[in-house]
Amino acid sequence: MEHTSPLERWLRGIALTVIVLFFMFPIFWIVLMSLQTNETILRSPPSMVFMPTLQNYQAIIAGRLDSNVASMSIEFMGNLFNSIILSVGSVALALVLGVPAAYAFARHKFRGSEDIAFTLLSFRFAPPLLVLLPLTMYFQQLGLADTYIGLIWVYQLICLPLILWIVRGYFEDIPVDVEHAYRIAGHSWLSTFRKIALPLAGPGIAAAGLLAFIFAWNNFIFALVLASADKQPVTVGALAFVTASGIQYGQIAAAVVMSIAPTLALALYAQRYLVEGLSLGAVKG
Amino acid sequence: MSGMSGISVENLTKRFKDETVLDGVSFDVPKGGTLVLFGSSGAGKTVLLRCIAGAIEPEGGIVRIDGQDLHDVAPEKRGIGMAFQNFALFPHMSAFENIAAPLRARRTRKAELKAGVEGVAKLLKIDHVLGHAPKALSNGQKQRTALARALAAEPGVLLLDDPLRNVDAKLRFEMRLELPRLLAGRGATVIYVTQDYKEAMALGDRIAVLDGGKIVQMGTPEDIYRRPASMGIARLFGDPTINLLDVVPENGGGGIIARLSDHAVPLSPGLEAAVGRNCVLGIRPEAMAFSDDGDGVPVTIEAETPLNEKTVTLAKTMRGRELLVSRPAGTPAPVSGAAHVVIDASDVILFDRTTGARIAPDLADAEAAA
Amino acid sequence: MTTADPTDPPPRRASFSRRALPYLLSLPALLVCIGILVPFFTAVWYSLQRYRLSQPWAQKFNWGENYLNFLSDPDFWNTLKVSLLYAGLTVVLELLLGLAIALLLQRRSRVNNFISIMLLMPLMTAPALAALMFKLMTNANFGILSYFAQSLGFEDFRWGSDPSSALLTVVIVDIWVYTPFIMILLLAGLRSLPTQPFEAAALDGVPRFQQFWRITLPMLMPYILTASLFRLLDSIQQFDIIYAMTQGGPGDTLMVFQVEAYLNFFQSTNIGRSAALMMILWAITFVLSNIFIKNWLRLRERARGEI
Repeated sequence: MEHTSPLERWLRGIALTVIVLFFMFPIFWIVLMSLQTNETILRSPPSMVFMPTLQNYQAIIAGRLDSNVASMSIEFMGNLFNSIILSVGSVALALVLGVPAAYAFARHKFRGSEDIAFTLLSFRFAPPLLVLLPLTMYFQQLGLADTYIGLIWVYQLICLPLILWIVRGYFEDIPVDVEHAYRIAGHSWLSTFRKIALPLAGPGIAAAGLLAFIFAWNNFIFALVLASADKQPVTVGALAFVTASGIQYGQIAAAVVMSIAPTLALALYAQRYLVEGLSLGAVKG
Repeated sequence: MSGMSGISVENLTKRFKDETVLDGVSFDVPKGGTLVLFGSSGAGKTVLLRCIAGAIEPEGGIVRIDGQDLHDVAPEKRGIGMAFQNFALFPHMSAFENIAAPLRARRTRKAELKAGVEGVAKLLKIDHVLGHAPKALSNGQKQRTALARALAAEPGVLLLDDPLRNVDAKLRFEMRLELPRLLAGRGATVIYVTQDYKEAMALGDRIAVLDGGKIVQMGTPEDIYRRPASMGIARLFGDPTINLLDVVPENGGGGIIARLSDHAVPLSPGLEAAVGRNCVLGIRPEAMAFSDDGDGVPVTIEAETPLNEKTVTLAKTMRGRELLVSRPAGTPAPVSGAAHVVIDASDVILFDRTTGARIAPDLADAEAAA
Repeated sequence: MTTADPTDPPPRRASFSRRALPYLLSLPALLVCIGILVPFFTAVWYSLQRYRLSQPWAQKFNWGENYLNFLSDPDFWNTLKVSLLYAGLTVVLELLLGLAIALLLQRRSRVNNFISIMLLMPLMTAPALAALMFKLMTNANFGILSYFAQSLGFEDFRWGSDPSSALLTVVIVDIWVYTPFIMILLLAGLRSLPTQPFEAAALDGVPRFQQFWRITLPMLMPYILTASLFRLLDSIQQFDIIYAMTQGGPGDTLMVFQVEAYLNFFQSTNIGRSAALMMILWAITFVLSNIFIKNWLRLRERARGEI
């Protein structure tokens, strides 16, 4: 099957190069922009040769931008902090709620378990605004309007179905006899869960957690609708940043880079599990 | 009833969706005794063991160990050691830890635990691989680790689910000799599941044959071999399988006879009731011999083939029916072509053709005829 | 052998705590289910009302009238049209491109592995931020893409700001973010295909294109269907990219379902209409997701069975 002519290999090489260029270019370019001063950015034609500067990052991290016109405080670090709290918090909660539930679904085919599992899965595909818009009304009444808790709870809509479906698969992959053997040897079901099921499903749980983190971090619409001004994560914050800072393109670029860096890093670190996770286990990675 | 038996199962029923896997199974295993559960796959043996162990809940019936009803007793509290067919070792633990699991559950002290694990490992000759993970072990070593795990805490009850199934033939043969020794010393009540009739005959005080979720016969190995309750059971025990030939017994030769190649084969006294009925004659290949001197059933020899330690001859009766005769390898072959086969009446088993059930000789009639 | 004594008590079921355990473990998941139903039914409730926050006195039930009004509402048809167009374009283009890339990367090699990892990155970028990146790149003054367009002769190509090119722009962003998803799925599918049919075909002298058309493609169908349905479900409710790029503009060229509903709710505060719009979108996605789930479960079984 491998008699590719040199021409073919050439064409394939060109095709792949074009493809890689297309997909890598925007990231490359935005990183470039983040290292340029406003003047460099606005220079026309755009140049690749310039003196890189870290002033954009410094401005964001320091939280203020001093220009010859005025001083402006930048709230972006707050957004970063919010993203971390929301993502980590949501995933943590989803794991605590979802892993035992996944175990129950995997091991005890009780009445209604399939239906509940399906319903949860269908949440993943339902339009979020359907639920978010009414929730804006309820949030006020429930006192959740300006809280992390409220957001973390709503974020469960993103994280829980994912954790449940992926982790359930991993629990199901453990042969039942192994658990039986541990119990018959004299251990309680809790001990079996902790010492046998959890360790053996460990990689899957980690993968699911990672994926849930990425989805929570990248979420935009939930935060846009429900997050109060000081609880906004980077996705909403970056956009607001554009409107607020107006012409500080370098800083906008730096803010974008800081916003996408965590998920890109995680993706590189955990890419083995992404295939399985993204397809909800339909394809083994 | 209670307090006497080691394991007692009463009317156990288990259903999976629409299928009834266990249908009112009942039996007793006396304390310290060994029962072999025999049957082909799907007969329900594994499910039965799991019900006794508490891994599965039956729909109905009672399981007792030492007289105690186990209904609300969780598996971990039943004091059972179980060895699984596919080993079910904990993949993320070393062999040592696998074997130690029951001892850890009983909070055995460190020194005692180490001694216990090493002791049973030595017994099973795996003490040199205790530090390995299961995937680094050979099948034979895995099997023995699983056994060691079952034995480690010296449980009163041992459930062994076809432990030799996934093990190569040579090891299986070795273990078949070792196991009775191993089990004998411990005084545990044992239920041993197998599909291999030779194993069953070698290991059990008694054998219970399970078919379609029911116990169709229970008795000593000799009972089952010589007096199988049905043709099906007779077929399961024996290699090559028992010869089954349609006959209609008649009166003759001073007793009851059946005709094979028009030769009268005498049947045991007490089978008068079978005269004139449609029957099936069952003769085991090893129960026949070729005669040197022209008496016996005339047959023609078709082919011969070695089978393990025997040689099996395919012969045909005058009416063209096939007969398998076996003899120990190395004994002389009959003179080829036409030959005669001698059949002893006590080796013959008669079955009813319609029900398949064995027709037992009526001893009263036998006495009357004598 | 003992027989069951008819006077024995009937077999008791396992103790309560053992039976309740699975339900207890999945209680939180159950609670989430129930928790979601409340806003859901609220949405249904409001969709049956004429309700504008700006005219709270006029709030009243008009039952299906909101839905009927859609039939004669040009804005609704525009929303439907744009949503379907967007979904159709993105899914088809991503499928073709994703398949092409998967085929190119099919063979396992260090280079190919490296490339597929690199190609994961756009997928891990928040779509809203991806839109922001492209917005910067298509900026009329300093955007690199505007510069490219200019050098290719497209004077004054306004990308997202121009009604005629806005759809193209957001579709490009969508392709950039989501093609890798299809690629990953199809690549995994391609690599899981058995080699014998191909070897046999090669021995028989079947040309490569035919091999692709008659062997690869049919065997890949389940993966293609799964990937397409998955993307279709997401695309038809796309919000992040479009909102971040143009908020539905210019004008109403990009008013897809969720953007329209959002603006109805927050800008025109027309709660009733917004809810009704979401119900229609939900109905579409509900039907699609049922088809998808069945298909996907079959695929999952197959993946399971092969391990």
